[in-house]
Amino acid sequence: MAEPRVIVEARGVTKWFGATTALDAVDCVVGPGVVHGLLGPNGAGKTTLLSALFGLILPDEGTLRLFGRSRGEAGPSWLDGVAGFVETPRFYPYLTGRRNLAVLAGLDGGDAAELIDEALERTGLAGAGRRKVRGYSLGMRQRLGLAAAMLRRPRLLILDEPANGMDPAGIRDLRTALRRLARDGVTVILSSHDMAQVEEICDSVTVLSRGQVAFAGRLDVMRTDAPDAVWRLRTSDDAAAAELSRSCAGVKAASHDDGGLVVHAAQDRLDDYVLRLGRDGVAVRGLELDTTPLEALFFQLTGEPRPGGQLPVSQLPRTKEVR
Amino acid sequence: MTLAAGPWPTFAERAVPRSRSGVLVVWRLELAKLLGLWRVRALALMCLAGPFVIVAGLNLQSATPGDTAFGQWVHTSGFAIPMVILGFGGQWLLPVGTAVVAGDIFSAEDHFGTWKTILTRSRSRGELFAGKFAAALTFATAGLVLLVITDLLAGLLAGTQPVVGLGGQLVPAGQAIVLVLASWASVLPPVLAFTALAIFTSVVSRNSVIGIGIPVVLTLVFQVVTLIALPAWGQQVLLSTPFQAWHGFWEQPAFVGPFCWGLVTCAAWFGICSAGAWLVFRRRTIGGAA
Repeated sequence: MAEPRVIVEARGVTKWFGATTALDAVDCVVGPGVVHGLLGPNGAGKTTLLSALFGLILPDEGTLRLFGRSRGEAGPSWLDGVAGFVETPRFYPYLTGRRNLAVLAGLDGGDAAELIDEALERTGLAGAGRRKVRGYSLGMRQRLGLAAAMLRRPRLLILDEPANGMDPAGIRDLRTALRRLARDGVTVILSSHDMAQVEEICDSVTVLSRGQVAFAGRLDVMRTDAPDAVWRLRTSDDAAAAELSRSCAGVKAASHDDGGLVVHAAQDRLDDYVLRLGRDGVAVRGLELDTTPLEALFFQLTGEPRPGGQLPVSQLPRTKEVR
Repeated sequence: MTLAAGPWPTFAERAVPRSRSGVLVVWRLELAKLLGLWRVRALALMCLAGPFVIVAGLNLQSATPGDTAFGQWVHTSGFAIPMVILGFGGQWLLPVGTAVVAGDIFSAEDHFGTWKTILTRSRSRGELFAGKFAAALTFATAGLVLLVITDLLAGLLAGTQPVVGLGGQLVPAGQAIVLVLASWASVLPPVLAFTALAIFTSVVSRNSVIGIGIPVVLTLVFQVVTLIALPAWGQQVLLSTPFQAWHGFWEQPAFVGPFCWGLVTCAAWFGICSAGAWLVFRRRTIGGAA
């Protein structure tokens, strides 16, 4: 089958739950062989959109197409080549991990059952495959969810917060695996509220806020639109340091609730500012990155409350319209 | 974990296409899942051993359950034993046993949160519904067949003397076996209708306790309503009435009118509950709340 140019195409997708608008005319287009991040705070509509892609909920308005076909056109084969999970993967607790995979492989049909050993091995569950799932930790269930996805030989992998509960080594391995999958031509849609994780592995993103698309596009484009990074600065004289920032172009500093200063500045402007602090006799006792530019943009787009003491969005040094 | 150690199996490599009917696949997997549940195993064990325990208990005492049909003959003919069990089973055992499985077969997926897992595996809702429904019907039928076999065996062990029918006639052993089998077969339609009712409550409630509890409570309600002086048609629409239709087989002369009415009643309950369950299930939203 020739790979279509658009793998996922959502147009004007709207979903209401009673009086609540979970999705409001959402557009989301994802091409082949990319890792696409679906970002947003809790309640933004990420899980609802993923559920709609899996056909778990039916949109009230709009159209959804996977591999160029609507659900009506594809019929029962709508999810062929699609794998993943929405929210925490759930399994039958009274069955072993291996038996759960066997049930799912049975539903998949074909030669899926032959992949169970490999899937357990590669998700690090080979030793736990004969244990009942009720004894699995959250991280183990996430890994079993990945194993279940692997059985389907996915062309499109949809993962909802897959790193939840995983140890650092598992998260690192997952990131590498997702990048490798994309290189191999698999399209990955990754829901997350962790901007750092998304920055590391995604090619493009859709940011949702209160059911609406706040940004959609490539990550490098998003970076150019992002405001300055936010830094935490501790000095020998915070009042003098704040006063000095007023004469430094592109630098804004304000007191933080927990002490020290919050500084909004690009890297080069910050360098100049720190050098000036030294020249003016203010010692720098601590400097650390608090919010990356993309995280700052995420907060700005979604209207999420920012860590205490930071400047309000209206006072950010650079603010660009990205829609 | 070595997720990134090599390429994942890819879609293009799929060598063996899906070939079997989805309903058949789901049916087989559901039966396998059911056998993994302790309460299903316990029910099967009860069907296997229960009749023999009852025979042993009756042999230990001289009194008879005289207030039930055939109860007074349990010490004189082994054929009375399966009929006594059927009399009690028709009132309680069969509806409750059916509800324990069918009332949970859909809501268990809600309880475990696994709808999202199985509905993302290329099987349609129709296939899942039909497969689960068929599995529940299979279990109910298998349980009934198992109970017939063990009942009859336990009765035959107790003795093969002729038994006195409900019309006072003496029924010889050969005819008694046929009538015992026919009587047990006559409760299959209400058992299947009860299965559909339990599935309906399971689908609508999304709750295992309610899914199992409502059919059990309805069984009690039917029993109470039966005691009220209902008009004939009122009695005939109750799902508990067809469980007693076999009484006519043992009368002199035998009659099958209640059995035929029972078939209509069961078909109506079965159709309404099945259709209702499917209509609710078909458009149900699975998770994804904002």
